Amino acid sequence: MRLFLTEKMNPGRLSRRRFLFFSAIFAFTSIAAWFMADLLWTNGLLGLEVALLVLFVILFAHVAAGFCTALVGLYVINRGGDSSRITATLPSLDDATLASTAIVMPVFNEDVSRVFEGLRVVFRSVQETRRLEHFDFFVLSDSNQPNQWIQEEVAWVELCKQVGGFGKIFYRKRRHSINKKAGNVADFLRRWGRRYRYMIVLDADSIMTGRALVQLVALMERNPHVGIIQTAPRIVNGETLFARVQSFSSRLYSPLFLAGLNYWQQHEANYWGHNAVIRIKPFIEHCSLPDLPGSEPFGGRILSHDFVEAALMRKAGWGVWLAGDIEGTYEEGPPTLIDSAKRDRRWSQGNMQHAWLLTARGFRPANRFHLLMGVMGYVSSPLWLLFMLLSTIHVFAMVTSPGTFSADVGTQDTIFFGYHFEIPQAVTLFLLTVVLLFFPKVASVMVTLGRPGEATLFGGKRQLITSAFSETVLSILQAPVNMAFNSKFVLFTLLGQGVSWVTQRRGTEGDVTDWREPIITHGGQAAFGLVWGISSYIISPPFFIWLSPVIVPLVFSIPISIFLSKVSFGARARKLGLFLTPEETSPPYELRRLQQNLAECYRHLPPIEALRADYGLTQAVLDPYVNAMHVALLRQRRQTEESREWFEQLRERLLRNGPSDFTLQDKMALLMDADSMMTLHRELWGAPPEDLAEWWRLAMRQYNVLTNAPTTALYR
Amino acid sequence: MVVFVATMSRPPSVEQTNPGASEERVGSATVPEFRPRTGTMDQWNAAYVRVEDYLRAHRIHNRLHQSRLIQQVLERAARRHEANPSLNPIALAAEETEQAMDLWFADMLDASGQPHDRIAVDGRLALLLCDGPRRWPYAFLDRAQPAPDFSAAMRAGVIQAGPDMAVSNMSPRPIDLGPIPEAAGETMERIERWPILRTLLLWLVFAGALGVIFYATR
Repeated sequence: MRLFLTEKMNPGRLSRRRFLFFSAIFAFTSIAAWFMADLLWTNGLLGLEVALLVLFVILFAHVAAGFCTALVGLYVINRGGDSSRITATLPSLDDATLASTAIVMPVFNEDVSRVFEGLRVVFRSVQETRRLEHFDFFVLSDSNQPNQWIQEEVAWVELCKQVGGFGKIFYRKRRHSINKKAGNVADFLRRWGRRYRYMIVLDADSIMTGRALVQLVALMERNPHVGIIQTAPRIVNGETLFARVQSFSSRLYSPLFLAGLNYWQQHEANYWGHNAVIRIKPFIEHCSLPDLPGSEPFGGRILSHDFVEAALMRKAGWGVWLAGDIEGTYEEGPPTLIDSAKRDRRWSQGNMQHAWLLTARGFRPANRFHLLMGVMGYVSSPLWLLFMLLSTIHVFAMVTSPGTFSADVGTQDTIFFGYHFEIPQAVTLFLLTVVLLFFPKVASVMVTLGRPGEATLFGGKRQLITSAFSETVLSILQAPVNMAFNSKFVLFTLLGQGVSWVTQRRGTEGDVTDWREPIITHGGQAAFGLVWGISSYIISPPFFIWLSPVIVPLVFSIPISIFLSKVSFGARARKLGLFLTPEETSPPYELRRLQQNLAECYRHLPPIEALRADYGLTQAVLDPYVNAMHVALLRQRRQTEESREWFEQLRERLLRNGPSDFTLQDKMALLMDADSMMTLHRELWGAPPEDLAEWWRLAMRQYNVLTNAPTTALYR
Repeated sequence: MVVFVATMSRPPSVEQTNPGASEERVGSATVPEFRPRTGTMDQWNAAYVRVEDYLRAHRIHNRLHQSRLIQQVLERAARRHEANPSLNPIALAAEETEQAMDLWFADMLDASGQPHDRIAVDGRLALLLCDGPRRWPYAFLDRAQPAPDFSAAMRAGVIQAGPDMAVSNMSPRPIDLGPIPEAAGETMERIERWPILRTLLLWLVFAGALGVIFYATR
């Protein structure tokens, strides 16, 4: 077997691949631009028409890029795969050389049970490869909620006790959370980076099998000029209809895109921030990010750091590869449309900042393209909206100026089997767009059906086709809603404004609908859709019909959002065999184990209602073990006279009045002060009841009464 | 079982002159009879409950052992209360518990002479890490010769939140954004210093958009 040189494939061959790929985008865009210009040309190209044409070209090129990636992917898959891929350099894992690797998991106010049960699964899986000696695990916490923080500490100790992980699994809580996730990882690198050759970054909801982790490290060892290898995590564990649809679509369609991306990217791939291995030394040397000009949200700290880090690694000469064919790498997706929008809000701001870097000196063209695609991922939404609004104005102008515009504009006669048809001229362009949008879906289904046994993993041939069709319908319904969200995010980012969200009413056990959040979140979209729809109908009913695929989902965005967020509909779809993925029909051992462990965690009673809001603080003060563990993890600090007095007052207030009137800052200050925590524990247990708040008396009597051990994030 | 009270380093005068403690035969076992001479029943009930809660918080679920410990703590608290009835029995019981634990932890960890807070934290942590109350249900505060495996487990109980540091310098390196973004950045920073200018620009964009729509729909 011939092993190709991984740093770069033959430059001529790579140039040919890229020439083909980008020429295809150019060709499709040019043809579409031709049709569009022809349509607009009918009555002369004035200012509005030119604006429409420019917007159309930009949007179509974006769609064509996706289509061409899938097209190339289909070509690669039909050829039996790409010989030039990073995984081809490692024929066997059996005698692969490994090196010291840190598996880092930055967390921020996550579900603690999920984080540590996930870590348990990853740890056990690595243990089973018998290569554990090469790996250390780090939970890097930036959690700023007392409950989360204390639960993390408890869960870490419990996990270490249960798996024998002391000295292998480490926990670090930053006192000051500077620069979010990138700062958290950088903090790790500054402290311990030199101890390790590689780090594998996991998200709080990531799962990677031991085999995948070993494979990544072995690939890095095998390819000393590679700086980053990114895997393609599969979205798993979805329960709501929305999450299951996302999981299905990602699982079914991504192979085509991954193959296509690898075809033209090769050693100039991108980094997506997690489920990837990084060579630490060059990363420390080249990837510490500066601030951008101006202040947030458009300037300041770089939020979406991953794309930039990949560009900097490439600039320094290190390869970045996408290993889309590594199995055993998973993540979870947002459960609802609104949660997805909340994530998009963060990502949109980060990706828009990349506009600054498009012309940065020394960046490789491929990285500029990644950055541009990141920007377009969000900017395309307001451009699409603008395009349609301008189209509405255009139609209005046509309708109100009959002298200028001919009545039969936009239609032409055609003869089909002897019958005369009047069809709109735009049909050709419409069909071309439809082909580009839906080809990847159809091709993916065809490829899956063509592989023996693969359709069974998606529930069978009929279920696969029905699921793909249903997913297409649902994605059509979601697209305008996402466009409205992203347009708002982009606009607000440009105006330097934040977006406020309604706090979901949690604690609605099971599948009870919280109407308030979707109504308030989507209300504006529905109203906008209604006004737009009525206006366009008044202007021109045929135009309204053209516009209806966008208007209708906007008007019905509230019920659509609620429908997609239902766990019961997700479960029903599963029962019907819809949106099944191979990870559901034939789940890997790690995911099965995670589900079992989590089910056991969630079966236990939560703390009593009265104590739940401040359960972390309760435990840290009241529980002798949690208090000791928490204090042991804190750094002792010398206090000034003023701060000593302030802490004394805080402690007295806490014991006498309870935590109800404490701010988050007060609670965090106490929790960070080792002296206060020891004193509070002593004074609480030594104080007569009449000196304590009713809340503490309840806590002392109720704590650890119902169960042998107090409620923690981990059991077993 | 030799209980910790018997060997506690309390002033012998107080211990020896405790008239409340006598012995009563229950079956073949000797159970010391204890009745506080000062304080009200409610006060001692409250103290009993507090010690019980505290032991439960330590996961001492062995009822027999728990009640024996409570009685020992309360006996000592009662003696001190007789000497000074103005003190609160709960506070006394808490102090006695704490002191007993300090002595026991110091012995177990071979850490006598350390300050209270240090011993208390290390001791409780060691107990947590070795799962002492569950694996050795009679061992907590037992002053008898501890089981060797228990002693070893207690002394091995340290947590390491992170490995030894190997510090690296990772300071931000400037990125040359190119001429256009650099110029745009400088302009933006200048505009940010003049909020009125920013507002005017925004109004200009808005008015421009209105103008375009007006023109397009004529």
